[in-house]
Amino acid sequence: MTVLTAQPHVGPGDSGQDHRAPVVRLGQLLDLNSIRPLNPAEDTESWSAGGVRIVRGRINGNEVIAYCTDGSRMGGALGAAEADLIIEAIDAAVRHDCPVIGLWHSGGAKLADGVESMDGVGRMFAAMTRASGRVPQISVVLGPAAGAAAYGPALTDLVIMCEAGRLFVTGPDVVRTVTGEQIDMEGLGGTDAHGRRSGVAHVTVGSEAEAYQHARRVVDLLARPGAFDPAAVGTGRNPRELLPDSPKRAYDVRPLVRELVDGDENGGGFEEIQARWAPNMVVGFGRLAGRSIGVLANNPLRKGGCLDSLSAEKAARFVRLCDAFGVPLLVVVDVPGYLPGVGQEWGGVVRRGAKLLHAFAESVVPRVTLVTRKSYGGAYIAMNSRSLGATKVYAWPGAEVAVMGAEAAVNVLHRKALAAAADHERDALRQRLIEEHERQSGGVGRALAMGVVDEVIDPAHTRQRLAEAFASAPANRGRHGNIPL
Amino acid sequence: MAEEIRADIVASVGEVVTEVGTSVATGDTLVILESMKMEIPVLTETEGTVTRLVVNKGDVVQEGDLIAVVE
Repeated sequence: MTVLTAQPHVGPGDSGQDHRAPVVRLGQLLDLNSIRPLNPAEDTESWSAGGVRIVRGRINGNEVIAYCTDGSRMGGALGAAEADLIIEAIDAAVRHDCPVIGLWHSGGAKLADGVESMDGVGRMFAAMTRASGRVPQISVVLGPAAGAAAYGPALTDLVIMCEAGRLFVTGPDVVRTVTGEQIDMEGLGGTDAHGRRSGVAHVTVGSEAEAYQHARRVVDLLARPGAFDPAAVGTGRNPRELLPDSPKRAYDVRPLVRELVDGDENGGGFEEIQARWAPNMVVGFGRLAGRSIGVLANNPLRKGGCLDSLSAEKAARFVRLCDAFGVPLLVVVDVPGYLPGVGQEWGGVVRRGAKLLHAFAESVVPRVTLVTRKSYGGAYIAMNSRSLGATKVYAWPGAEVAVMGAEAAVNVLHRKALAAAADHERDALRQRLIEEHERQSGGVGRALAMGVVDEVIDPAHTRQRLAEAFASAPANRGRHGNIPL
Repeated sequence: MAEEIRADIVASVGEVVTEVGTSVATGDTLVILESMKMEIPVLTETEGTVTRLVVNKGDVVQEGDLIAVVE
């Protein structure tokens, strides 16, 4: 990981500079000595004007553009001039077709500038939206980012927060006045609030240095995609050994995902995003055979791996993010179905689940599904089924694709026969019907015959087979923005 | 610091693996829930001692219900 670590040329403590000064922060984000003013005509004098610094630089040699609000002056407040600089940076990134990274420490729109500042940040939002889906936009929240400064990051593709980061529309004082709720800034808009409760933050870390490291890693994955080289998958352990012996037992899917993607060397490893929010769906970036991919996986350890309204929404946004930037998708499926419940229905599981169907059906990147154990019902369809356009659908031996599990199916299909049976015979009848049902429609036999599962693969060769499937699919990229679903 | 461990899904308690006073490490199983025809282990996220355990085998828990406290 050393190659990914920013080397600060001006570290905190050096030359007594304020650690909040943009030159210090940008220096920690970008490659050593790579910073240049965005506009070469700019002199160092005009550089120091305004509460925002915009620069060109490199991350692992890849060209990027970055802006940083100046938390050391007026709390980084955004007036029209500051907003115009951010717009200039974003528009330049689109022209150069390179990622743009924003470092945020700002109290929001500059009060003294009145309507002018509101107009400025509104135009900034519009610029972010114009660039959406065209170049990756990454936000690193390093301090308070309130009001307009909260919606800025929220409009971008990925929000990385360090523990000093605070995001909210209205601060604790206003909250207390209006609703009577007592809460401090951290409780209202800190890393726990946005990493676990709201889902606004994609990555939450402790220090600023860690936040820059994650930003650099994400930029590396998006800006240096690489190519699939199936010869490079190597021989690892059999990933199926990570599943529990009992098919009913839940397990953490993340070790399995880490086994499927490339190891830490050469920029591999698994960069999970939104890890603590809707954790029954795991999403993140990694590389497979050298090529960066997006991974989605049901996590049985959380809610049994059920799809529900939040996890479907989380997955939908990630699918669209990857599609917009041409990142192929690996979908690891072990799903018992959609979570039933009044709360789910009233919480919009139909509306939010529809986003996931739409996202997959719309996406044009290569996307390969691997069913490790089971895939049932509506969740089967939503998890990148053949019907939604999967490039390939593989299953491991013993996997099952069905409308529902055998026991549930028997209870529905044979409800009358079961009710009519004598009490002491009912369990034996149910057991016999389950076995019959499993013989007739268990496994993936019917799915294979229909061609909705392409092949049962040897788990030991999973990485090889996935890499080959991706490598033989034509590269493509969706033409749409990445609305923050 | 006390960690409250709560159910993340409506479930019945299939098995209580730990007891009050037990020292636990991060990732240890406290109880096993049964839901959606699956056995879902409930794990600790911190190390410490189990100071409260408020469910028994056979109980039904709703999403958000307290299961145990680890301090």
